[in-house]
Amino acid sequence: MNKYSFEELSVGHKENFTASVSEEFVADFRKHTGDENPLHKDSDYAKNKGFRDKVVFGMLTASYYSTLVGVYLPGERCVIHEVNSKFKEPVYVGDELTISGEVVEKNELFRLITVKALIRNQKGKIVSKAKIVLEIK
Amino acid sequence: MSRETIFEEVVDIFREVFDDEELEINEETCSDDIEEWDSLENINLIVLMEKTFHIKFQIAEISELENVGDMVNLIKKKVEENE
Repeated sequence: MNKYSFEELSVGHKENFTASVSEEFVADFRKHTGDENPLHKDSDYAKNKGFRDKVVFGMLTASYYSTLVGVYLPGERCVIHEVNSKFKEPVYVGDELTISGEVVEKNELFRLITVKALIRNQKGKIVSKAKIVLEIK
Repeated sequence: MSRETIFEEVVDIFREVFDDEELEINEETCSDDIEEWDSLENINLIVLMEKTFHIKFQIAEISELENVGDMVNLIKKKVEENE
């Protein structure tokens, strides 16, 4: 786990990691959130709606933003204030995701940084993007 | 920059932070008057004010602010210091 302090981070600093979405992760997410929407568990239903297969929950994909800032950028000292995220393309089970973030702004008074985050799939396509404002304690 | 201009900019800042184009504030408006005005949104207000007016606040200065009028006065003082 990284432990960047506010002073150690500059605008432009980047971190990234990779993750693969398993069937098990999707099932656990459904179990713990209670989101039984068929789009995420019924292949035929999803294909009927125009998707290649059942779609991974958007908020599951977005949960990797928590990992990005909580483990990598800045890591241990992170306290999230705000996450504004968009879901640009569907994610499917088995997709290999690269989650990356870059510091784009710093506020000295409150020790805040703004991280611009992107999630790409194995084809390099952006599946999600986010703007994250966090405090470094 | 006139106080009136600063006040108008502050109104825009409040509308942006609270995502409400119809929000009305006055000199006496304080956090008790806007339900969503909590410590997190207070930070967002201050950060946007710093960016908009190209000024820097000190923590001690912010802790003395009681309403929008106080904010406008402080911004005017800092803008004039920069001029």
